[in-house]
Amino acid sequence: MNRIETSIDKVKDDIRNFYKPDLYHFVVINAVDLGEKIEVQWFFCEYANPSNIIAFCVQINPDEEIPSIRDIVESSWVAEAELVDLMNIKIQNTAKGFVLEPDFESGPLRKKK
Amino acid sequence: MGKQYEIPLGAQHISLLEPLHFKFTTENEKIVDTVANVYYVHRGIEQACCSKFKFRQVSFVVGRVCGLCSVSHTTAYSQVAEKLIKIEVPRRAKYLRMLVIELDRIHSHLLCLSHVAENSGFEALFMKTMQYREFAMELLEAVCGNRIQYDFSIVGGVARDLKPEVGKMILERLKIFKPQLDELVDIYQNNWTLSLKNKGVGLITKEDALRLNVVGPFARATGLAADVRNEYDDLLPWKEVGFEMVLDKAGDVHARNMVRLRELYVSMRIIENIINGLPESALVTETKTFPDGEAVARLEAPRGELFYYAKGNKTQILERLKIKAPTFSNIPAMVEAFKGNEYGSAPAIIASYDPCLSCTSR
Amino acid sequence: MIKYFTMKTFFKAILNLFKKPVTIKYPFEQTFIPDDYRGMIGFNENLCIWCRRCEMACPPGAIVFSQAMDGKQTYHFNRAVCIYCSECVRACPKEGAIFQTNVPAKCALKEENINNGWNILYGEALMSRAAYAAEKKRLAAEKAAAIKTEMEKKEAKS
Repeated sequence: MNRIETSIDKVKDDIRNFYKPDLYHFVVINAVDLGEKIEVQWFFCEYANPSNIIAFCVQINPDEEIPSIRDIVESSWVAEAELVDLMNIKIQNTAKGFVLEPDFESGPLRKKK
Repeated sequence: MGKQYEIPLGAQHISLLEPLHFKFTTENEKIVDTVANVYYVHRGIEQACCSKFKFRQVSFVVGRVCGLCSVSHTTAYSQVAEKLIKIEVPRRAKYLRMLVIELDRIHSHLLCLSHVAENSGFEALFMKTMQYREFAMELLEAVCGNRIQYDFSIVGGVARDLKPEVGKMILERLKIFKPQLDELVDIYQNNWTLSLKNKGVGLITKEDALRLNVVGPFARATGLAADVRNEYDDLLPWKEVGFEMVLDKAGDVHARNMVRLRELYVSMRIIENIINGLPESALVTETKTFPDGEAVARLEAPRGELFYYAKGNKTQILERLKIKAPTFSNIPAMVEAFKGNEYGSAPAIIASYDPCLSCTSR
Repeated sequence: MIKYFTMKTFFKAILNLFKKPVTIKYPFEQTFIPDDYRGMIGFNENLCIWCRRCEMACPPGAIVFSQAMDGKQTYHFNRAVCIYCSECVRACPKEGAIFQTNVPAKCALKEENINNGWNILYGEALMSRAAYAAEKKRLAAEKAAAIKTEMEKKEAKS
């Protein structure tokens, strides 16, 4: 797993420059609660060399809005909708209520304080 | 332009195995738009794995994510946990894992094929396929001790050894199954009635598959070479046991059926090779370290790529476990492939995706 | 040509009437159960060394040990909570103390109150152990205090 550390402003441009539909395969978006901050990871994998897994990692504050990559990777909407519901983070143009009911208690995967 | 109607399908429907909801917008019986809702069975397994269970117990918890690909989930989790505690699995354990995964693939693919036949309106073929599937269930019971929940992979190796008489039994049963599989291939390939419901239906092109990041037999039916087994990974030596990628070009329901049927031949060959060349070694690597750092593991489940991410913090309880099931990646393409088809073929198309919603919603 | 195929299928269908059924006549005929089927978990009290490793390893928490005030432990097992993974057997340091048979478990009945009853029993078992540990600690403290006073007396004498 190759980690590429980047920042919230640059991550979308980085992914846009990196992602080629016929070379790379989008896997999933994951988020880890680090306590103060949340780390969001975009996983990609190479078709020709599948053991090469690339992760774009960004550390954000819980109330920051992260950019959606739906215009670059079309199929990322499921992963984004899941993150919004389970981790309770804000993603551009993504509404709540795909995974859980709209009136749920937010962010079941976040650490309890 | 005709009048548009919205037709719901699911969450309870005669053609669905699991709760899944589609809302079709149709125009003259043709589907023009689809909205999917797949999260009816969210059980919070990821959270349970990171709070309630110790990391050695989690391999039994993730086995309960899905009944059909139970062994794929436990193996993928075991691999990621082994990376976290930095141990090497014995060679015999790797081979036994592959054996059970391939047996599991046989029964999963036959189940999917039978449901395609049923949803296309071919009840007799459904019965026949299910009848032939029974041998795989019995073999799995003989190897793992249970028909559905195998609990075969544990962190560090496998739970049970393969007895020589069970190995002999597997080879005998596979010999009986081979002509039966030939018969099934003949029916699925040449039956005229089935071809009306399957050929040219639920079409998705290779470009769409690349664009929507499709995985599994769904992708391979379009000609996209996406199979985790194809890489030479030190985790499981697939190439050593005679793995070959199966590809088709058409991308319709018929092509998916053929990919699954031809993969059964590959699976059978892999099983024969494993039993004939099973290496001797210990079954489990014992260690007392705790998971630390982060790791990912990928594995080809019957439905496609399974992805596990885990993060440890030097305690018994994991900090984060992320499960990405194959159907999760296929949802965008599933919605896309309905477009332009008749509403009447929707059940057959759904069955040909082989959707596993309990994996997807976890 | 079509006539030939119709006739062939027709005869096939007639012949199928006289074939044996594929299914098993279950109560009269036994289904396939391998010799090492993962069945009921057995326990041998004479061999057990009471280390409670099976309890710690059990994923669903189907094993619990309660402890009486004299220190004697009792083994409790719930067959409806157990997932028959044989993790307890692997964790056991003493061979044969806990083992797996190939007898399938019986279904749970309503009378047994297998869920609520088990939850209450589990809580009580943990509490009995905590009570024993507290009692042991109290006795040890008393003993230490007694020794201390004795030492002080000796010191005062000398």
